[in-house]
Amino acid sequence: MAREIVVEHLARVEGHGGIEVTIEGEEVKDVKMRISEGPRFFEAIIKGVKYDKVPDVMRRICGICTASHSLASIRTIEKAFKVEVTPRTAMLRDLLIHGEVIESHSLHLFLLALPDYLGYPDALSMMDKHAKEVKAAFQLKKTGNMVHNALSGREVHGMNDRVGGFSTMPKEEDLLSIKKAMEDSKAAAEDAVSLFASLDIPDCTHSENILMALDPGDRFGYLGDHVLISDGKRKRVEEYRELTNEEVVKHSHAKHSSYRGSSFMVGALSRVTLCKERLYGTANELFREHAEKLNPRNSLNNNLAQAIELVHCIDRCLEDIDALFNNGIEKEELAKIEPRKSSAIGAVEAPRGILYHDYSFDENGCITQANVITPTAMNSANMEKDFGVAVGRLVSERKENLESTLELIARAYDPCISCSAHLINVKFV
Amino acid sequence: MAKPKIGIYGLTGCGGDQLMILNLENELLDLLRNVEIVAFQEASSVQQDEEVDIAFVEGSVSTELDLERLKDVRKRSRMLIAIGDCAIGGCVQAMRNQEMTMKEKMEEVYGKGEEYFKVLEPYGLSKYVNVDLELQGCPIETTEIRQVFLSLLHGDTPEIKDYPVCVECKLNEYQCLLVDKGMPCLGPIIAAGCNARCPGLGIDCVGCRGPIMNETNAAEELHTLLEKGYDERYIENRLRFFGANFEGILKLSKMLREKTGGARGK
Repeated sequence: MAREIVVEHLARVEGHGGIEVTIEGEEVKDVKMRISEGPRFFEAIIKGVKYDKVPDVMRRICGICTASHSLASIRTIEKAFKVEVTPRTAMLRDLLIHGEVIESHSLHLFLLALPDYLGYPDALSMMDKHAKEVKAAFQLKKTGNMVHNALSGREVHGMNDRVGGFSTMPKEEDLLSIKKAMEDSKAAAEDAVSLFASLDIPDCTHSENILMALDPGDRFGYLGDHVLISDGKRKRVEEYRELTNEEVVKHSHAKHSSYRGSSFMVGALSRVTLCKERLYGTANELFREHAEKLNPRNSLNNNLAQAIELVHCIDRCLEDIDALFNNGIEKEELAKIEPRKSSAIGAVEAPRGILYHDYSFDENGCITQANVITPTAMNSANMEKDFGVAVGRLVSERKENLESTLELIARAYDPCISCSAHLINVKFV
Repeated sequence: MAKPKIGIYGLTGCGGDQLMILNLENELLDLLRNVEIVAFQEASSVQQDEEVDIAFVEGSVSTELDLERLKDVRKRSRMLIAIGDCAIGGCVQAMRNQEMTMKEKMEEVYGKGEEYFKVLEPYGLSKYVNVDLELQGCPIETTEIRQVFLSLLHGDTPEIKDYPVCVECKLNEYQCLLVDKGMPCLGPIIAAGCNARCPGLGIDCVGCRGPIMNETNAAEELHTLLEKGYDERYIENRLRFFGANFEGILKLSKMLREKTGGARGK
């Protein structure tokens, strides 16, 4: 007799999604990650909008990785119009994206993922017994948000990062407070690594994972123009269609991706695995210390990889702030833009993985075509693979245990469902 | 006295308004001592379908499921507060309402010849249910959430700003980006509450708090921007980003459409 495991509404993730698994006897018949978030059709509505306000609309794809969408959008526009930005702008963007990763990872690790492992419905109810972790979460999250505030203008949908540079330079005193907050929270980030390394991670998802991450250059980071793949290949971001092969699946509003016929994984685990030689400082030491635990064949290790990135990001923000002070933070004019009929593809590593924006413009600089591929959409097929493997191994377990394991797996990917929803098919069982 | 029961729910949107509640950070922990949270979709697995004193709902109604959930929340809440532009006027996902059909949007994103799935044209909550209070913003401001929480805990009605961003700009003594610099600033028709954040950074207001309720003089804004040399389509897009479902802007947009023959983006 067939039985169904249904996680109808996945809580503690951003957006609306569910999981359905059909089992016949001992065999997994069907696995579906349903993304039921309403589609918002950004690629359609943005057509006709002039480049200057395109990032203001596109960053609203996501509340959590808003700076990632901003930067992906801005970098794509600048590529299309061949705009060169100053080293100071590049440095500020590096600081902004590292700040965003701190905010997003601390939210995900402590407030969304950790409660599963400690047996709570949410982080707020952990206050009595785990005040230290909850306070660490808010301390780190606030530190990341300080970067958002000082550089982009606010925590969510900040607007100060523009095509061609930053409208206003961050204030010196704000950079100094960020520096202090970063120094004060480094211990909390290191504790996060110890905490996530100490958790008992089930190996039920253990299976082949193809990994992809942007090539950050010599040093670990989140911006780049090439994609590294675990099969040893390196591709230009312009080849993203061959790397993702997006196709519509009827059960989800997110399109699914594949590479050479297989699902693949993007995110922190892919980044630290593919770029481990480029980690440096404390993050590098911690990676070496936990290298065995960080087996990329177990997707659940994405949490530990994120914790290591937290430490990296804090050190990098401190470095960037020092460099900004050394090189001066006087106001610079935005780069001059000359729109032309053109197309370009840009990418950034959002906290949860590679994010591509692809635009075409007419001669006035108005969008004629847009395509956005988000990390959660890319990961959807791999999540389904992991659900199938896990249920296959745990098939004799009780229904509740299976359901909670599926939720554990989904959360480890840090899914951002709003971002991923292209299309809808509401058919709930 | 029993602590008021609070539910925080999300429909279709970016999750940014629930995130702004979490962004109260340590203050949130203090606030939570005074209320009982029975649902907080983005932050908790607890989802009790029980009666609540106050429901905060973010997101637009874009699917039948959204509508079903909204009606359910309305039924069991004493007070329903729409948080953020999505829940008020549909926000950016509504910018092509009555301009593109849902089928056109679907084909654009999904490809022609594919099966057409049913989605609703995005609107705010008040199209479907009675809403007690609307908190504007994309996203809402932490200062406002704090104020709303505190007012309600004290039994007061929270103050909602019904004057334009220009007022805050003047109080801050910022240079006028529209008059002095000729930038396409929407400050004159957009609700205040952001302390004129963008003009303070030298950026013209994009309108993310939405038009001032019932008092949007979009025609005058259009007139001013035309005088500054911006073309009609550019201005119309600007007005539509956060205002496509507001009557004044909708009327103006229709008028322009008839004049220009209706081709979008031309």
